[in-house]
Amino acid sequence: MDALIVIFITGLISLFVAFMRKPMLVLGTSLLGLLIAAALLLNQWNHPYNLLAYKGLSFDHTAISYSLVAVLFTFLSILVGYKSFKEQLDHTGDYVALFLFSLTGALCIVSFTDMFMFFIGLEILSIPIYVLAGSKKKDAYSAEASLKYFLTGAFATGVLLFGIAWVYGAVGSFDLNEIAMNINAGETDSSLLKVGVLLIMAAFLFKVGAAPFHFWSPDVYAGSPTVVTGYMAAVVKLAAFGAFMKLFGSVFPAIHDFWAPALMVLAILTMFVGNLSALGQLKFKRLLAYSSITHVGYALLAIMTESPMSEQNLLFYLFSYGFSILALITISTIIDDEEDNIEAFKGLARRNPILGFVAVLALLSLAGVPPLVGFFGKYLIFSGAISQYPTLVIIAIANSGIGIYYYLKMIMTVASKEDNTNTGHLEVTPIQWFVMAVCVAGLLFGGAVLGYL
Amino acid sequence: MELLIIPCLFALIALVVPSNFMRQYALIGGAVSLILSVVAMVSFDVTGFKTIFDPHMVTSFGLTFKMGYDGMSLFMVVLTNLITFIILLSNYNRTLATNKSFTALVFLMQAALVGVFTAFDGLMFYIFWEITLIPVFLIALWFGSSERKKALMKFFIYTFVGSLAMLASLMAIKASAATFAHEDLVAVTLTAKAAYWIFAGFFLAFAIKIPLFPFHTWQPDTYTASPMAGTMLLSALMLKMALYGMIRWLVPLAPEALPDMTKIVVVLGIIGVVYAGVLAIKQSDIKRLFAFASISHVGLIAAGAILISHDNWSAVFIQMANHSLVAVGLFLAADIFEQRLGTRNLNDLGGIAKQAPKFAFMFGVLALASVSVPLSSGFIGEFMLLKGVYSYNWLVGVIAGTTLIIGAVYTLRAYQLSMFGAPKASPFADLALNEWLAFLIIMVLILVFGVYPQAMIDFVGPSIDNLIQTIK
Repeated sequence: MDALIVIFITGLISLFVAFMRKPMLVLGTSLLGLLIAAALLLNQWNHPYNLLAYKGLSFDHTAISYSLVAVLFTFLSILVGYKSFKEQLDHTGDYVALFLFSLTGALCIVSFTDMFMFFIGLEILSIPIYVLAGSKKKDAYSAEASLKYFLTGAFATGVLLFGIAWVYGAVGSFDLNEIAMNINAGETDSSLLKVGVLLIMAAFLFKVGAAPFHFWSPDVYAGSPTVVTGYMAAVVKLAAFGAFMKLFGSVFPAIHDFWAPALMVLAILTMFVGNLSALGQLKFKRLLAYSSITHVGYALLAIMTESPMSEQNLLFYLFSYGFSILALITISTIIDDEEDNIEAFKGLARRNPILGFVAVLALLSLAGVPPLVGFFGKYLIFSGAISQYPTLVIIAIANSGIGIYYYLKMIMTVASKEDNTNTGHLEVTPIQWFVMAVCVAGLLFGGAVLGYL
Repeated sequence: MELLIIPCLFALIALVVPSNFMRQYALIGGAVSLILSVVAMVSFDVTGFKTIFDPHMVTSFGLTFKMGYDGMSLFMVVLTNLITFIILLSNYNRTLATNKSFTALVFLMQAALVGVFTAFDGLMFYIFWEITLIPVFLIALWFGSSERKKALMKFFIYTFVGSLAMLASLMAIKASAATFAHEDLVAVTLTAKAAYWIFAGFFLAFAIKIPLFPFHTWQPDTYTASPMAGTMLLSALMLKMALYGMIRWLVPLAPEALPDMTKIVVVLGIIGVVYAGVLAIKQSDIKRLFAFASISHVGLIAAGAILISHDNWSAVFIQMANHSLVAVGLFLAADIFEQRLGTRNLNDLGGIAKQAPKFAFMFGVLALASVSVPLSSGFIGEFMLLKGVYSYNWLVGVIAGTTLIIGAVYTLRAYQLSMFGAPKASPFADLALNEWLAFLIIMVLILVFGVYPQAMIDFVGPSIDNLIQTIK
C-alpha cells in the first residue's frame, strides 16, 4: 500500500523535477522512488500490515511478488527509454511520470480485493499507455497506434464494466470474498453471473491480446515508440494476467467448468494465430507482437489449470518472458532503424559480438531452449497443465515447434557473418549496457529463482 | 565434476587466447579432458556408480540435479573426450583451428555431451541434450559451406521438434513420479496406452537424432554443409547421445510399450540399413556417401539398442565406439580430398594411391574397418548385433545381413574410384603430421579393440546387467 503511494508521489515529483531541465535528475528521482517502493514491498512480505482502514487493496504474497516483478521491469523500461527521453528535454518528466502512473495502476490490479478497485486500477494502468503510445507526435503510425489502442481499449473497459455490473446483479457485492462465497454457496447456476463472467473474460482477453481480441496489438506494438512497446509487453501484460489469475483462479473457480472450455478454444486459437502470423513478418516489432500473442496463448494454460501452483507458474512465466523482451527492445533501440525492419538486425553479431550474443540468448529463451529462463517458464506452465489438459499441452508443444522457425530465422539474421549491408559503429551507452547485463543475468540464471520458490 | 567444468573453463578461456597460440591451446584442452577421463576410468570400479554432483535437494517441480556415472556413462564420457581430442588434432592444420569462437564452441559441445552422458535426472538430461544443439548449429552456421542455411534450418527444426516431443514425454511420466531422478522415473508403472505415447515421444527425439528412416532427411544435407569438425561432432558424438539415450532412458522408462514397439523400431532400423546403403552406392559426393553410410550403420545399432539383452547392448557400445572412430577417420579423409583438390566428387578423383601412399594406406585401413573385416573393431560389434537381430526374427536378420555386402560395395567403390586408376589431378600432398597422427590413433584403437573387444564388454557389462535388472 505504501509502495503504491511512493510510486505515485515519485511520478508527481519527477514531473516537477523536470522543470530543472536536467534529465539525469529526473531519472535519478524515478529510480530512487522505485527502489524505495521495492524495499517497502519486501518489508511488507514479512510484516503484513494495512496502512489504511480501506480494504480495497491487499498486498498478500502473490500480490507482492507480482508487484516486485512489475517494479523491476518498469525500472528497466525507464532505463531503456532514457536515451530517447533525454532528447526531448521538454517532455522528459512527462514520459517518466506516465510510466510511473501506469505502474501505480499495475500495482492496483494485482492487489485488488474489490471489483471497484479493479476497474479503477485497470484505467490507471491503461490511460498513461494510451498517451505514451502516441508520444511520437509527428509520426502518423504512432498517432494511429494511440487512437486505435484508446478506442478499442475504451470499448473493452466498457465491456468489463458491463460484466462487473452483471456479476454484481447476480451476487450483490463488489467484494471478491463475498462474490466467491456466494458462488460457492450454490448460486452458480445464475445466468446473470455467467454472462458477467464471460464479459469480464472478454475484456481480459482484449487486454492481454488473445485471439480473437488481438487485432489491435500488432498495430499498436509497431506504431508505439519502441520502449513503450517493451513496457506493454513486459509490464502491462504481467499486470493484466495477474488480475486475470486473481479473478478466475480464486473467485470464479467454482464455475470453472463453465468458462474453461471457452478459454481452452481461445487459447488454441491464440497460439495458432500468433504463430502462423509471425512466420512471414518483416518488421521487428510486428514479429514481437505476434510472438507475444503466442506467448499469451501459453499463459492462458496456467489460468485454466486448477492447481495451487498455477499462480506462481504464471508469474514465473511472465517474469522469464519480460527479460527476453526487454533485451530485444534495448537492442532494437540501439540499432534504431527508422523502418524497424528485421533486416536491420543482419550482421549484428559481426558489428558488435556482445550485442549479437545478447540477442541470440533472448531469442533462444523466447523459443524455450534450456537452460535459459524461458525454458523453465514454459516448462512450468506445460507440466502444470499436462495432467488436466494433455491434448492442449501437446498442441502447445507443437506450437513451440512452429515458433522455432521464426526465432531461428531471426537468429540466423543476427548471427549471419557474410552480409555487409549494415555497417557502422553501434553506439551503446553505459545505461544500455547495464540493462542488457541485468537481462542476460536474468536469462541465464533466472531459472535459479525456482530453487527458492 | 571436473569432467564437466574443465571443458567449460577451456571454452571461456578460449575467447581471450591469442589466435597464434589457439591450435596448441585447443590440443592441450582436449588432452587435459582426455587424461582426466582416462584417470577416472582406471580408478573406476565397473560394477559401481560414482556420483559427481548431487546437492540432495529437490526443487518444487522435481528437478534433483543428480549427475554421476556408471560403466556405460563413463564409457561414453571417455569416448567423447577421445573423439574430441582426435577432432581437434585432425583440425590442427586447418585455418579454422585459429578461430576463437570455433574452439570455444567445440569445448562447449564437449561439456554438454559429458553432461548428457552423466545426467541421472530426466530434466538435466533434457537440458544438456538441448544445449548440445547450439554449439554444433553455430559451428555449421558460421563456418559451413555456402549452401548451408536451408540445411541448417531443417536440421534445427527437426531436432528441436523431436526434443519437444521428448519433453512432453518427460512431463507426462513425471506426472506420476516423485522426482525426475532416473530411479524414480524408472520405478513408474505405466498403463499400456500411456506407455505408447511416452515411448513415442522419446523415440521421436532419438530417431531424429540418430537418424532413423524416415526421419533422416536432414542428415545428408547438414553433414555436407557443415565444416569437417562440425560433421565429425554430429556423426561421431551427437548421434551417440540418441543411442545412449535409447538404452538409458527410452527402454527403462517405458518398457510397457516394448512388446509392440520393438517390432517398429527394428524394422525402421533395418529399412534404414538397406535404404541408406543403396543410396550410398549411387553417391558421387564422397562426404554425402559417408553420410548415407552412417545412416546405414546406425540403423543396425538402433535395432540392437531396442532388443534388451546383455550381448546386444554390449555390442551397441562396441559399435558406438567403432562407428565414432571410423566416422571421424572417414570424414577426415573426405576433407583431405576437399582441402587438397577443392572437390569431393568421386569422378574427379583418381590415382591418389600413387601420389600419397601414406594416405592411401590409412584410408584403406579405415575402409576395411568400415566394412567390418575380422580383426577390426567393427567385426565383433556388427557380428553380435546381427546375431541379436537374427535371433529376434530370422527374416529381419537376413535382410540386415545384406549390410555387409552393401557396405563393402559403397566403401570399396569410393576407395577404388579415388585411389586407383590414372591420376586425374596432381600433385596431391601426402598426410601432414597431425593428420597422420590422428589416423594412427584411430587405426591403433580399431586394431586393439578388434583383437580384444572383451575389454569393452567387461567395462560396460556389469552396468548393463544392473540396468537390465531395474527394468520391469
